[in-house]
Amino acid sequence: MSIIVKIDNYSFMCADDSMSLLEAIEDQGIDVEYQCRQGFCGLCRLKLVEGKVTYFDEPIAFIPENYILPCCCKTKEDIVIEGTVPKEKTSV
Amino acid sequence: MNYTTFNQNQFDATKEPMFFGNYVNVSRYDVQKHPIFEKLIEKQLSFFCRPEEVDVTQDRKDFLSLSEHERHIFLSNLQYQTLLDSVQGRSPNIAFLPVVSLPELETWIETWAFSETIHSRSYTHIIRNILPESSEVFDGIVDTDAILDRATDITKHYDQLIMMTQLFQTQGEGTFTVNGQSTEVTLRTLKRILYLTMVSVNVLEALRFYISFACSFAFAERAKMEGNAKIIKLIARDEALHLTGTQHILNLMASGNDDPEMEVVARECHEEARHIFLDAVEQEKAWADYLFKDGSMIGLNKEILCQYIEYIAAQRMDALQFSHSFSQKQNPLPWMNAWLNSDNVQVAPQEVEVSSYLVGQVDSELKSNEFENFTL
Ligand code: FES
Ligand SMILES: [Fe+2]
Ligand SMILES: [Fe+2]
Repeated sequence: MSIIVKIDNYSFMCADDSMSLLEAIEDQGIDVEYQCRQGFCGLCRLKLVEGKVTYFDEPIAFIPENYILPCCCKTKEDIVIEGTVPKEKTSV
Repeated sequence: MNYTTFNQNQFDATKEPMFFGNYVNVSRYDVQKHPIFEKLIEKQLSFFCRPEEVDVTQDRKDFLSLSEHERHIFLSNLQYQTLLDSVQGRSPNIAFLPVVSLPELETWIETWAFSETIHSRSYTHIIRNILPESSEVFDGIVDTDAILDRATDITKHYDQLIMMTQLFQTQGEGTFTVNGQSTEVTLRTLKRILYLTMVSVNVLEALRFYISFACSFAFAERAKMEGNAKIIKLIARDEALHLTGTQHILNLMASGNDDPEMEVVARECHEEARHIFLDAVEQEKAWADYLFKDGSMIGLNKEILCQYIEYIAAQRMDALQFSHSFSQKQNPLPWMNAWLNSDNVQVAPQEVEVSSYLVGQVDSELKSNEFENFTL
């Protein structure tokens, strides 16, 4: 089963579920802000527009409503998130 | 009501607000109103380390090779960090402990402030190593107008909260004249100043500190002052946790889930709070001006640092739902994330040699012959 992650105007298939969502996005060459990568700084925060994520580590950082911390979650279904993807990538 | 170090009344602490409820009595953590503070405490304890054990001897040679204006940037930045941690090492204790009502939050504040004292000790370690005479750096702090300008803004909310709490706890509510200034002290005005103080602490730790981190890491990007960068990484890890702490407190206040009156206060103070951020942005830009007055360094100049100030301010304000007009969407210092991440303290981007900051850990491998002379 492949899960589709849509960020900005760019979509990709999330096949490897050993990765965090943050790693999966970075794997596409898209930069996301981060510091701790352990759920305590809140800097990787992204807005979730559609779908649901599952946390493999309970984050300590404050998460505003409708936001996710991609460094400590994975996705089990198709999701849409807000983010900035470099123009040259928004072609899929 | 006078502060008491052990409130002898029987009450359910889980029904108290974070601040301005009953004074705390039993330090117990079996039941908690806001378990997040216990998690913050545990995380902070797991970060304990002794920066004095980080080897900074190479930094002395690096420092000598820096140009005059680069030394000015490096030392001024350290002076600023020293000021910030001098404030943070004491103020949360003095300002918040007298009015806290939850044991887990009280202990979080103490744990938080303690970690700041470790930061202060690191600066002494760094400065002592690079200069034969550290006094000029430390003494220079209160002699430098550019630093004192921000010191006033950083401390004024804390100082006002402390003064008003002292009046409230000794005289009760009323209007008092202190130093020729009339101050209205009520529970409501206290809650307002508490909220604003918490915002200004968030600005200090989530915005001002990150600007100074950028300057520290800009040297390390050029493979200079890497011992210093290693220590700053550890400090940055703590600050990330602290900013999370104040974001939780501020959001609990604004939500009304903790104290309904605080929700009203947060709404009333919203504009003033927003302006604490905006004023700090202007100040940090003025600071950038002072840092680079004699010249920039490779990879960092006044313009880029100012863009970074706006970028970070936008992020921190978004997290607290404060509106702003900063449009900087892309991080102007893309190398910052890797430096801020502390997982790679040992293997930093520029191949910093393995750090020795764990030297102090307990030797848990006892060999059988260590018990040879031990009889029951
Ligand atoms: S990187 Fe710190 S919470 Fe995700
Ligand atoms: Fe600190
Ligand atoms: Fe701090």
